[in-house]
Amino acid sequence: MSSPGAGLGYDATPPFSAPLRFFLSAPLFSAAAGGLLLADPGLLASRWTPGALAIVHLLALGFLLQVMLGALLQILPVVAGASFRAPLRVAGLTHAGLCAGSLALVLGFLTGIPALLQAGGGLLGITLAGFLIAAANAIRHAPGTAAPGQTPRDLRLALGGLLVAAMLGLALTLALTRGWGLPIDFVQQVNLHAGWAMLGWAGILLAATSWVVVPMFHITPAYPVRLTRWWAPLALALLIIWNVGTVSGAPAFALVTGLLLLALAAVFPLATLRQQARTRRSQPDAAFGAFRLAMIALLAGLTALIPATLTDQTHWHVLAGILLLHGGFGGATRAMLYKIVPFLAWLHLTQAGIKAPNVRKLMPEAQARAQLRLHALTLLSLIVAMFIPLAGHLAGALLFVESLWLWWNLASVARIWHKQQAARSAPAAV
Amino acid sequence: MTPLATLMTNDHRACDHALASAEKHVLQRNWPAARLALGRFADMLSAHFDAEEQTLFPRFEAATGMTGGPTAVMRAEHAEMRILLDNLQAAIDGQDGDEFAGEAETLLIMIQQHNMKEENILYPICDARLAEQAGELVTLLAEQLGQRAATEITS
Repeated sequence: MSSPGAGLGYDATPPFSAPLRFFLSAPLFSAAAGGLLLADPGLLASRWTPGALAIVHLLALGFLLQVMLGALLQILPVVAGASFRAPLRVAGLTHAGLCAGSLALVLGFLTGIPALLQAGGGLLGITLAGFLIAAANAIRHAPGTAAPGQTPRDLRLALGGLLVAAMLGLALTLALTRGWGLPIDFVQQVNLHAGWAMLGWAGILLAATSWVVVPMFHITPAYPVRLTRWWAPLALALLIIWNVGTVSGAPAFALVTGLLLLALAAVFPLATLRQQARTRRSQPDAAFGAFRLAMIALLAGLTALIPATLTDQTHWHVLAGILLLHGGFGGATRAMLYKIVPFLAWLHLTQAGIKAPNVRKLMPEAQARAQLRLHALTLLSLIVAMFIPLAGHLAGALLFVESLWLWWNLASVARIWHKQQAARSAPAAV
Repeated sequence: MTPLATLMTNDHRACDHALASAEKHVLQRNWPAARLALGRFADMLSAHFDAEEQTLFPRFEAATGMTGGPTAVMRAEHAEMRILLDNLQAAIDGQDGDEFAGEAETLLIMIQQHNMKEENILYPICDARLAEQAGELVTLLAEQLGQRAATEITS
């Protein structure tokens, strides 16, 4: 049932454990990607090696999708007034399906066992379908206020992008394992899948979230209204046009629309950098710097996609993948986690009537800054490893350590939250 | 945006600036200036909360018949933010920069998420439900918020 107040109360937001489980398991998948690279640094030689496919999906599904779905459980009620009916059940099923599906798919890539690929694709398909249905249901029952921001609309667009990306991914799994290909070139199909996953889903979601959290966390003016009104629908429209050009066998048309798409995509990080330059904070914190670096990495990644589009040289794709996945989306996600997790812990304790340590005591700034510096160093080492294969060992080791450090920092916040809650409930239990 | 949403949103931004000013002075360990800046911020925040609790929320409640709904949540958040404000004051009294930074960061995010809910959900509902009294209501709120908001809205 909806009411004008839906979304304003904490009763509308899920228990902390709902998003937290996603945030805590995500770094472990990223660490696994580091472990793979450490074991076999040669896998960065091409985007088509089984190891590269495994790493991409450990980062894209295991890390990014985990964090993004966990964050959506939290954001949809607050920003769009769309509360999940059974948030803990949705969180539990989605988390379990995502972890198991990602693991099976990655193992399928590494071993080449069709059953694993099918199990992974199937599990992920069912899980995402379940999440999307639950989200659509929550959105359908949200109050229809004339909210000034475009975030709720863009969140819906991103969920649509996720649906297409997931369906293309599932089709690719079937093409790989059963030969049931769509009537388009396999490489083109992979490009479409990546385009929908990176822009249709992750890019639009990051932008939709940024419209709200960049002004909120980095104390900047609001994004220009014209940008927030048009960027996501235009990006989606151009993505569809590029798809049509690609599928219909019109290479020149696909090339031009593809380049236009890259230019349009670059508007978001450029605008964000401009917003950040206008912050009202006297001393920007570690998360601020990490978010800025993430935007620069997105721009660099989009730039690397230009030669990747124009030539067949596969290393441009690998470079773009590193910059976009680890540098751009990975960096932005880390920056947001350092803001969101301590605040949610504080908020849930305070709401329970427990005196909570402030956010800087929950997550010391020095700890966050040091970990984020290692993330930046890892990004640099990954790029170097493309040119000096032996450096891949170092890049893998850094990615492994950096991810576990992130996990440790987030788990420390969770531990304090849990301890304070237990201390509060202990006397009552006696 | 409507005049009501513009007035209240501008005042949110003005409060942000005032807190940023206090943060800057604490970073410089200029305690007398920090105390003054925090005092100004506290006055602005209190004026904003009072204008909402004494004028806007009762009008909303009268128009919608909802007293335990969104306005109750907003009032509860105001109470939490007042506690955080006291913590900031205590940190300045104790000249503890680290404590101030942690409390300020907490208050800042609390304020921002609170503002987001007001600006995205509550003010649009107020605009819809209080349309016929908007002119008089905006004048009254502007008076309560003080001259700064009234000048910002016209500038």
